[in-house]
Amino acid sequence: MAGSAFNSTRSEKIFDWFNYTFLTLVLIVTLYPFLNVLAISLNDSTDTVRGGIYLWPRAFTWDNYQTIFNYTGLIQGLKISILRTLVGTVLGLIAASMLAFTLSRVDFRGRKFISTFVALTMYFSGGIVPTYILMRDLHLIGTFWVYVLPGLVSGFNVFIIRSFIDGLPFALQESAKLDGANDFTIYYRVILPLCKPVLATISLFLAVGQWNSWFDTYLYNGTKQQWTTLQYELMKVLQSTQQGGNMTNANDLATQLAHVSPDSIKMAITIVVTIPILVVYPFLQRYFVGGMTLGAVKS
Amino acid sequence: MKNFRTTKLLTLVLAGTLALAGCSSSKDAGSSGAADGGNAADTNSTAPVTFTFFGADASPNWNNMKDDVGQEITKKTGVTINAEYDVGSGGGDQKISLMAASGQYPDLIYAKGSLSTLIDAGALVDMTDLIDKYAPNLKKLYSSNMNRLKYSNEDPKIYSIPTNVGVDNMIFDATGGFEIQHRVLKELGYPKVKTVQDYENVLKQYVAKHPTTNGQPTIPLTLNADDWKIMITVTNPAFQATGAPDDGEYYIDPTTYEAKLHYKRPEEKEYFRWLNHMYNEGLLDKDTFVQKDDQYKAKISSGRVLGLIDQEWDYQDAENALKSANKNEFTYAHFPVTMSEDIKDKSMQSVGFDGYGISITTSCKDPVRAIKFLDWLASDEGQVLRNWGVEGKHYKVENGKRVIPAEIQNRKVNDASTFSKETGIGLYTAMSGRYGDGVKDSTGNYYTTNFPEQIVASYSDAEKESLKGYNATTWKDLFPNEKDFPVKDWGAAYNMTVPTDGEYQVIWKKTQDIVRKSIPEAVLSKPADFDKVYDNFLASLDKAGAPKMEAEYTTLVKARVSLWTGKDIK
Amino acid sequence: MKTLTMDDNLQHESVTPKAPKRKKKTKGDFWKSVGQQKYLYFMSIPFVIWLFVFSYVPLWGWTMAFQNYKPAKSFSNQKWVGLKNFVELFQDERFYLVLRNTLAMSIMGIVVGFIVPIVFAILLNELRSMKFKRTIQTVSYLPHFVSWVVVAGIITKLLSIDGGIVNEILLSLHIIDQPIQFMAKGNWFWGIVTASDVWKETGWNAIIYLAAITGIDKEQYEAARVDGASRFRQIWNITLPGIRPTIMVLLILSIGHLTSIGFEKQMLLGNSLVTDYSEVLDLYALKYGIQINRFSYGTAIGMFNSIVSIILLFTANGLFKKFAKESIM
Repeated sequence: MAGSAFNSTRSEKIFDWFNYTFLTLVLIVTLYPFLNVLAISLNDSTDTVRGGIYLWPRAFTWDNYQTIFNYTGLIQGLKISILRTLVGTVLGLIAASMLAFTLSRVDFRGRKFISTFVALTMYFSGGIVPTYILMRDLHLIGTFWVYVLPGLVSGFNVFIIRSFIDGLPFALQESAKLDGANDFTIYYRVILPLCKPVLATISLFLAVGQWNSWFDTYLYNGTKQQWTTLQYELMKVLQSTQQGGNMTNANDLATQLAHVSPDSIKMAITIVVTIPILVVYPFLQRYFVGGMTLGAVKS
Repeated sequence: MKNFRTTKLLTLVLAGTLALAGCSSSKDAGSSGAADGGNAADTNSTAPVTFTFFGADASPNWNNMKDDVGQEITKKTGVTINAEYDVGSGGGDQKISLMAASGQYPDLIYAKGSLSTLIDAGALVDMTDLIDKYAPNLKKLYSSNMNRLKYSNEDPKIYSIPTNVGVDNMIFDATGGFEIQHRVLKELGYPKVKTVQDYENVLKQYVAKHPTTNGQPTIPLTLNADDWKIMITVTNPAFQATGAPDDGEYYIDPTTYEAKLHYKRPEEKEYFRWLNHMYNEGLLDKDTFVQKDDQYKAKISSGRVLGLIDQEWDYQDAENALKSANKNEFTYAHFPVTMSEDIKDKSMQSVGFDGYGISITTSCKDPVRAIKFLDWLASDEGQVLRNWGVEGKHYKVENGKRVIPAEIQNRKVNDASTFSKETGIGLYTAMSGRYGDGVKDSTGNYYTTNFPEQIVASYSDAEKESLKGYNATTWKDLFPNEKDFPVKDWGAAYNMTVPTDGEYQVIWKKTQDIVRKSIPEAVLSKPADFDKVYDNFLASLDKAGAPKMEAEYTTLVKARVSLWTGKDIK
Repeated sequence: MKTLTMDDNLQHESVTPKAPKRKKKTKGDFWKSVGQQKYLYFMSIPFVIWLFVFSYVPLWGWTMAFQNYKPAKSFSNQKWVGLKNFVELFQDERFYLVLRNTLAMSIMGIVVGFIVPIVFAILLNELRSMKFKRTIQTVSYLPHFVSWVVVAGIITKLLSIDGGIVNEILLSLHIIDQPIQFMAKGNWFWGIVTASDVWKETGWNAIIYLAAITGIDKEQYEAARVDGASRFRQIWNITLPGIRPTIMVLLILSIGHLTSIGFEKQMLLGNSLVTDYSEVLDLYALKYGIQINRFSYGTAIGMFNSIVSIILLFTANGLFKKFAKESIM
């Protein structure tokens, strides 16, 4: 695409050289923490305590992963996590993009009021107690929907999408209107397809947010086995290693000796929850790393 | 909302009364049979019932009673527990506050430090009469400690029964104090280690001879000051070394019951002066107040740290790493080190029976059934089941003695998590009252699976050698015995319920912030500046309101002592 | 590459003003326009109601700031204390200290945290090898998923005096002759937090800009190249203006968040020697609020925070509207 640099000057060559070197450096520096986590997750947990593990495990083992996967609640938790990620992302995307579209329309009468109304929600919170009571009164406690509904509309996402729509030529909407399209059709047929890059970005944010959250499970669904999420179950795994089984007092030597250091398990958990995101990532990435083009649109 | 609440409460009270009435009448009907071992009482209450439960401590292996012990409990009592345990490190505070705010409670609750929140909300049932009428086992178990179950002088009801500690629990070994590596002791010919001066000399001599360990610089002494661990390894040792028992952040005068922040004792200033001296001599690790928990453990497991002032559970991981690398001589011996020889270490002084426990809430539709359930768990049968598991499956009885087969023991040690998940052993420990380690039942067997004989068996050769060097069989032998000291009238001060909001807590937080900031400052100061820094520290504690907080705490201590012992205290 | 379905019949469109001119409104016009814009209302009002329920309704909780709230009591039984909580907050010297730390770190964070991801996104965009671009992009956002506990551990080890790599390098280059205990020095702390944040979040934060860059019409570059514009010119004249709206919106939004920056990284990177520099408002609120059951005090801090945020938001929005012709409201 970018053509074979037909007017690359000397300074641009230096720039290219610098750019490649610099970004390679960034590559190394940002890869390190993850490789470190991976190495520790594959290292014997007792040995890990000794420290000094950087890029390669010293005492290789799958035990840490085994400990995690031996845990019975995980599959159920995984199902719910995937479900909430899918539902939460799709619904969140619809909500944010629709609202963003209406707010991008300068001719929309409610624009200023609604923009302010939405923006403010990013800066306050009633606090945990009133929120909990609201969930109780809406009968959301102990249901799946408590994961998705409260955070359905995110002001941040709305404004990000809107700023993207603002950058699109308005002519597209006008001509569609001339062709007799109504506002919903314009949103659906014109805006959404053009917004792929930003929608991919926002779905990534939404999905990661849904996937990583465990606190709502803890607050609202701790007693509902069928609705607990992977992250919540993994929190429990982590605790089972920290507690060393049923250690109730200092005399319980037998169990004390079996006490596993949680560091390696913690790292293995990091890997386990990150891998699915990494797997999905390329599908989203192609929308915002240079793959898309507005092609023939002239403005 | 208010109306709704009142009606709900009314319904509850009504339901409760009905249930009570219903049960007591059936109890009356069956009372003729009660003489033959309480079986009659059981027969009329094994209909299936589910109780909801919230536990403020984590219990990650909880398996919805699908485990062996759980099945057995359900079989015997008809009760199924639908439990939720706290996840995270909040100790349940947040969840319990939300329960109180929304008025939705489980039937049974293990509330830990949040008990008073629930009592303020009127959410807990007074268990006094319930225990008296329906719980012979609990009554027997707590007989000599009944006073200690009461909430306060003004409100002397029993809102919870302590379950996280065993009655008459015995401590078999010392796991704290000042630690020195076995290799050091061996090389120096098991020197006398009684005072901080002795301790310092030992470290100094050894590091002079061996400035490096495995090619890395030897560290004579390091401490763990990461977050709250600073209390374990830096500030608590100050009262240990100066002959005061552990009363949390306070020192409680055993005759007047006056409480003050323990840092205010002049002796402790000298302890911190000694730490300051150790730092300026280069004996205390420069990284002490900067390093994180894992760095601390990594150092210990490299074998180059000669001395620690810590509790075993805090550096256990590192010691395990050393043991698994067959470096037992790099692990640690425990000593009751004090400022001078005439001071006695009081680590072993008993707090008596004092712990957190389980409560029945007003949401429980059948409190009688609930107390009967708790009572069954506290029966000999229930306790053995909870501690040992199912007979024939998890333990055998040979010649009247309970024995755990080697294969089961092996799983218990090496596969602890799965083991407790499948068997349920250990999952029900805090669910009801129980006897502690070292107590024997009517068959002459210990109630719990921990007994003194195990301790010696678990020592490594290096440990045994050091112990021999000091003519002792356990580390506890080196420490002044609990029998040398009276049982504390005020129990475990650090567990005591304090006002949950208002000024007390604010001053508490402020003084804690000051301690965490100033103690490191004092230790790291130049020796000439130490007095100034320490005196400033004490002055800022008072400026933050310490005297007011101490006065409030003193009142609480006195009230507790008079409630528990019946003593008349001004 | 055609990705557009409607572009064929759009070809003839000439330059159109971005927004249609506003007409003078009368009452009749109002209902008429509501009718014309009914789809826009359908597509926004439900979400407005939604936000009202889930975000605005719980605001009754702010009443707690004026009470001595106890979770156990019903609303009508709470004790009202007026402005006591606010008075206490403004009288606490610690509050001003944590406010200073919060502002210092968040201003540093905004300055660096904006420039670096933008530069990074642009540099990334200038790469010609698609594979390399994707690899770097993927790897650079990985640290986002590594928890602060782990990152803080890595940083502390890097800067340690006991074999930390930074000190080793400085020593071997003879820049210093004694290892520096970075983590024990309060005046280093803000810088360390900012740098760690850049390390952890740059890749993640750059994603938004990458998406915005993708939205720039490629033909603009073609045209510029034909005109002989250098790559730097193209960046300056096309790329930066192209992502300007996104930058502005993010800037306005984050200025509003100046007082709330979370406390996790500061807490985990800090230690008892640097607390005077590491404690931030959010941690203060937790410690002196919820953690000791002072819901009211915590709420008062939250309210203070929100009000400051909203004032900042409106100010930033107004200033940007005036000087940069870009705003969110």
